[in-house]
Amino acid sequence: MAKEKNNKKSILETLGESQVWKSIIRSGVPRTRRQRMHAVLGSVFLHLHPARLPKHAVKLGYTWCMGGLSFFLFVNLTITGILLMFYYRPTVEYAYTDIIDLTEQVPLGIMRELHRWAAHAMVLVVWLHMLRVFMTGSYKPPREFNWGVGVLLMTMTMFLSFTGYLLPWDQLAIWAVTVGSNMARAHPFIGHEGPGASLLAIGDINLVHIGSDVRFALIGGRFVGEATLLRFYVIHCIAVPFIMMIFMAVHFWRIRKDGGISGPL
Amino acid sequence: MLETFKHTVDYLSSPTISFSILTVITPILFPPTDWFDKINRKLGFHLLWTKTGLIAAMAAITFFFVVGYMDQNFNVILTKADNFPIVLMVYSIYFFTWVAMHKAYINDERLEKGLKPLEYNDPDDKVLVWPDLVYIEFIALILFTVFLVVWSILVPAPLEEPANPAATPNPSKAPWYFLGLQEMLVYYDPWIAGIVLPIFCVVGLMAIPYMDINKKGDGYYSFKERRVGIFIFMYGWIVLWLFLIVLGTFFRGPNWNFYGPFEYWDTHKVVALNSVNLSEYFWVKLLGKGLPENILLREFLGFLTVGGYLFILPFILAKTILKDMYEAYGPTRFVSLMIFGLVMLSLPLKMYLRWVVNLKYFISIPEYFFNI
Amino acid sequence: MAEEKMTPNAAVGSSAENAYKGPETDRRGFFNWLSLGWLAYIGVTGGFFTMIVRFLFPNVLFEPPQTFKIGFPEDFSKNSVDVKFKKQYNAWIVRDEESIFALSTVCTHLGCTPNWLPVESKFKCPCHGSGFRMTGIHFEGPAPRPLERFKIGLSNDGQILVDKTKSFKWEKGEWENPESYLKV
Repeated sequence: MAKEKNNKKSILETLGESQVWKSIIRSGVPRTRRQRMHAVLGSVFLHLHPARLPKHAVKLGYTWCMGGLSFFLFVNLTITGILLMFYYRPTVEYAYTDIIDLTEQVPLGIMRELHRWAAHAMVLVVWLHMLRVFMTGSYKPPREFNWGVGVLLMTMTMFLSFTGYLLPWDQLAIWAVTVGSNMARAHPFIGHEGPGASLLAIGDINLVHIGSDVRFALIGGRFVGEATLLRFYVIHCIAVPFIMMIFMAVHFWRIRKDGGISGPL
Repeated sequence: MLETFKHTVDYLSSPTISFSILTVITPILFPPTDWFDKINRKLGFHLLWTKTGLIAAMAAITFFFVVGYMDQNFNVILTKADNFPIVLMVYSIYFFTWVAMHKAYINDERLEKGLKPLEYNDPDDKVLVWPDLVYIEFIALILFTVFLVVWSILVPAPLEEPANPAATPNPSKAPWYFLGLQEMLVYYDPWIAGIVLPIFCVVGLMAIPYMDINKKGDGYYSFKERRVGIFIFMYGWIVLWLFLIVLGTFFRGPNWNFYGPFEYWDTHKVVALNSVNLSEYFWVKLLGKGLPENILLREFLGFLTVGGYLFILPFILAKTILKDMYEAYGPTRFVSLMIFGLVMLSLPLKMYLRWVVNLKYFISIPEYFFNI
Repeated sequence: MAEEKMTPNAAVGSSAENAYKGPETDRRGFFNWLSLGWLAYIGVTGGFFTMIVRFLFPNVLFEPPQTFKIGFPEDFSKNSVDVKFKKQYNAWIVRDEESIFALSTVCTHLGCTPNWLPVESKFKCPCHGSGFRMTGIHFEGPAPRPLERFKIGLSNDGQILVDKTKSFKWEKGEWENPESYLKV
């Protein structure tokens, strides 16, 4: 009997009963209802989800999968971004040529395309996610706070995309960023061309001038140049993704804590 | 025939006309009151959310882009690699708005009959995340990866000449998702269009759940129960954000002049852009005097206008036509709703004032960079 | 006194008092020390964050020199705009009937670089369509004020010296300042 049963076992099942497998996935191959729930609860990644969901939550027509896709694109952009960092040097001297080399001298010359188009797609997907959440009224209590976190995440997505725009150091990049960063001049009081800035003065000396305002802090100089490239590189690769990960953790956590996915009562 | 079509589109797409058309259409498309709803039914706008409507609108969008692709002038704009996301945006925004509205109409009917919405399932009848959800996520992820890889192979990422701080390209545009902002900058001073309006936009979005006291329509697509809210959101989202992006991408050419999509980008097109401040209108044109030396005296009318609009108008509204709303919402909610709403509305108002009477600024104090 | 009873700390304090009769700080004194501690904490963190903000502004900037010589006044013909210093120094040298002045190439709207269109005799910004006359005065588009002028003068060898560290704004009446133009 035992021998016969052994013969019938598939490779998967044999694997599933091995000590190595069981040490990783405790419940073995998820076949029964109980094992399947266990597989979700026991996995650090999957336990983002509850073990069971209402039926409408797995329907594409309801969720459009946009939230999941935003997260997927974030992961995708992190991976392609790390790979691009191996070849890219954020200096005025090398940046532009490194970008050319990325297409011409590196195998799989579409890494930059993957990164750029995923970034554009992410902006769009995040907007659509917002549209879905709005149209289903999912921001209503008790999910008000999480909607706010989501709006901030959307803003950060756009800011990330904007800082990345400068890095190829071509005409498109530098002028888009010049226009964008010049808005920072106009901050009330802290931008040197903002309202009230000229009131902050001791005698004849202006406290807020082109070398001391918020735009300078952002671009590291009086105009978009070497320092800007480095600052934007660091903001793009480290600073904003770091903050965004914290906000994403809160966002996901709060979905569960606010009663899981929204739905009709 | 095709030429007539192109000329018509060129004519209609001029910001004054296209913006007005959209402003008029939005309340009919997303009727906030019964009166608009009646017009919607009469004109057959609700058919846009049926399956036939989907096919017709998709065909219309495709026709526009195909004609554009064939046209030598529009082709130049359309085939720019960075503009491809806008084409995607136009399709996907319509498609997903359609999905939401289509389902909302079905749900509205169901709710009227006393049925539960489509999304409703017995709370005890649940599905397992493994495998039901995990597989969907997995498939979505693979499909999207394939889409990205194909897109990346077909469209090389744009790379122009190396950066040259001395030569500004003409026109020079922000990334496409910020073109709405760049368009606002034509009408408002940088500190308003670049700082205040975006902050109001973000904070206003975040404040939506606190200002919307309508408890209905939570967790399913619906329109009738939330029509005012959806109308306001759609006006801000489609007209004041997405349309301005399309406008900035397709209809703005050299020197930031307006060009129809099928029009040749002639760098020497001369457009009169002489605009006049409110103070000049008042002191110079109306009273026939010079501008007074005292800044506050010079700009007093502007201060009155802006102050009245933002701080007095809400009180008047609360006492008159929005009395019921004021009582339902309470003072804090009402005032914040009014402030966010009026700031949002100030953008189209200023646009029209610029187009119709060439108004430059309500308040113009360049001495302190304070222009509104 | 009644207030203090309500705080749990007070209760703990009193039981500790019974057990331990060492040197005593009375409660009022303790709270004074506590607020002092918080103030110190806020002060130190505030100072630290100030230093972080200050960290963003380096002491030395490696940017092109702000003061430069552009040649002799005779090099510039009357009623013309010289664009050859635009690339390196971001300045146009304009000579009208009686003076020479240096205009900043930064558009006062959002800082793009306008182009000099000799035919139409105006500076036209490609970003949002602002237009400036040869004098730098704005006349069309969204620009809120005229272009700025830089300090200009003669150096000892007779060449024109432009100093970009000082700029003159029309709307403040600074173009009357003799440093903002060079009589010829």
